[in-house]
Amino acid sequence: MTLLELKNVSVRYGRIEAIHDMSFSVEKGEIVSLIGANGAGKSTTMKTISGLLNPSSGTIHFDGEDITGLKAHLRVMRGISQAPEGRGVFPGMTVLENLDMGAFGRKDRSGMKADFDRVFSLFPRLAERRSQVGGTMSGGEQQMLAIGRALMSQPRLLLLDEPSMGLAPQFIKQIFSIITEINEQGTTVLLVEQNANQALARAHRAFVLETGSITHSGTGRELLANPAIKEAYLGVG
Amino acid sequence: MSTTDGPTLVPDAQAAQDAVNRESASKKAGPFQRFGDRWNGLRRPQQWAFLLIVVALAYALPVLDIPILTTEPGNDWPITCFNMAIFALAAVGLNVVVGYAGLLDLGYVAFFAVGSYVAAMLTSPDSPFLHIPYLWTVPVAMAVTMFFGVLLGVPTLRLRGDYLAIVTLGFGEIVRILATIIPAMKGQVGFQNVGRPPGTAADGSPVFSNSNGTPWYWLALTIIIIVLLLVGNLERSRVGRAWVAIREDEDAAEIMGVPVFKYKVWAFAIGAAVGGLSGALFSGQIGFVNNQKFDVPTSILFLAAVVLGGAGNKVGAIIGGAIVAYIPLRFTAIADYKYLIFGLALVVLMLWRARGLLPARQRLLAYGRTAYQRVANRDSGPPTAVAAEEGDAK
Ligand SMILES: Nc1ncnc2c1ncn2[C@@H]1O[C@H](COP(=O)(O)OP(=O)(O)O)[C@@H](O)[C@H]1O
Ligand SMILES: [Mg+2]
Repeated sequence: MTLLELKNVSVRYGRIEAIHDMSFSVEKGEIVSLIGANGAGKSTTMKTISGLLNPSSGTIHFDGEDITGLKAHLRVMRGISQAPEGRGVFPGMTVLENLDMGAFGRKDRSGMKADFDRVFSLFPRLAERRSQVGGTMSGGEQQMLAIGRALMSQPRLLLLDEPSMGLAPQFIKQIFSIITEINEQGTTVLLVEQNANQALARAHRAFVLETGSITHSGTGRELLANPAIKEAYLGVG
Repeated sequence: MSTTDGPTLVPDAQAAQDAVNRESASKKAGPFQRFGDRWNGLRRPQQWAFLLIVVALAYALPVLDIPILTTEPGNDWPITCFNMAIFALAAVGLNVVVGYAGLLDLGYVAFFAVGSYVAAMLTSPDSPFLHIPYLWTVPVAMAVTMFFGVLLGVPTLRLRGDYLAIVTLGFGEIVRILATIIPAMKGQVGFQNVGRPPGTAADGSPVFSNSNGTPWYWLALTIIIIVLLLVGNLERSRVGRAWVAIREDEDAAEIMGVPVFKYKVWAFAIGAAVGGLSGALFSGQIGFVNNQKFDVPTSILFLAAVVLGGAGNKVGAIIGGAIVAYIPLRFTAIADYKYLIFGLALVVLMLWRARGLLPARQRLLAYGRTAYQRVANRDSGPPTAVAAEEGDAK
């Protein structure tokens, strides 16, 4: 069943068109990766889905409903949650306060305990650091916090913008296996990456984004095996 | 990530971490901080007793004409107290905008002016409009300034921080210029004999007069206390947490489900209403309003009061406002240089204590408090800062 569908979406910053006529969809239960070089339009795509940006044309459907004009804070209630690029944790708030903000839009307080438990068992590190302020955490910890915070709204679709950015290799592996775990618990994941190796290996399906348009698509494995993609995104000849 | 990359008075992460650490460890850190620690260490009845003493002293202030503190013979002491209260009240209002929501408003005097004019134009015999009892002008002034706050806020609060600062700066001037060019607002001639609250003393003279600051001060102080209680409640609510989130990262707040624009407009409107309130009190006591008092430097003084006290801290705002009003009246010899002196004082303060005299660290654990507690208890290990913090905050 289709959870998210973009149809002919274009996004502009003033006169510059960052996304051109993009269409793709994400099925329930999938991990879908969008890979592309710096400036390809990955973050723009994510912000358009979460509602921080509005497309200049095209439509976005979520769970069968048109959400094209819906404000970002209302999309959270529908079940779209984003861990933004550069993590975007609240620098002056503690880990607990950050997580609490993640549940801002929720009505049911009683269910929150389960979500704290879930986040802390996915990221035991966050439990240890719960009184630490976001801005003083390491890059990897902030990434965990951003993902954990995004989970606090009980999303049906989790958007991850370059979760491996700036992380040491052992951290990257860890983050990706946690992403897989989150997905296995039932959350659909759409992630964008420059670092294509892990992103493709973990994905059910993947797309390649070049200067605002999708140029390749296929299963993660297919794209991993594609020589052109290997050369461009995997750093091997 | 943040789109609020304009000028910002917001504390950095390290400072916030220090504050958290102090809360949990009670480390030594300067006289004001220690006070905060001790305060949190006190039990509830002790806190109440202490507050009661502070409030009693505050009410006694115009009567306690302490030799070193007094501004006499240059300036009447009770009237000085009243001016301090007016600035403190305005600073509490501006603190909602600047300190809580992180919106840099350089034209706050405009709201103060609107409140003053509303009170004057609805009570002064010089005004052709309908006349109502003075005390009624207070809620009317708040409603009108709130309306202006929304009017200014809706088109500008979508702008980035530095643009907002410029637009508000312009708004501060516009009100003054309108007062000059609109005939009904009577420019420099202004309005005489602005109304006052009712009541006559035993000898038949009015209780509230232009020459006696004490009753006015008591009225202003009472209003400050009420406003503090209301603002304190807001601060601890969902709204307060949303403001802090907006201040820290607007986009992140939005994707957490915070209706950012709506909450910004609210901060602006609430701040405006409090500014209008203090303006209405001010014009009542002075008894005269014209276009000369509402200039840009006054806006900057209000802002200085907030920053001095510690942006985001309502008690700090009161202290900051009182200091900013007091210094030029106490040291009349240097009053002409007040901007220079406040400028220097702010520079020094920012070097020494970048977050103001009473740095803010709001307790944001409201919504999921019970959930945390259970989580915190479940995790073994010492009952750490969080649990203790929770207990205090209760
Ligand atoms: N706020 C902005 N204003 C103007 N252009 C922008 C803005 N943000 C991104 N762009 C441009 O849009 C294109 C896509 O950017 P982005 O989506 O951030 O790329 P990616 O995330 O793939 O690195 C780039 O050319 C970038 O310069
Ligand atoms: Mg990007």
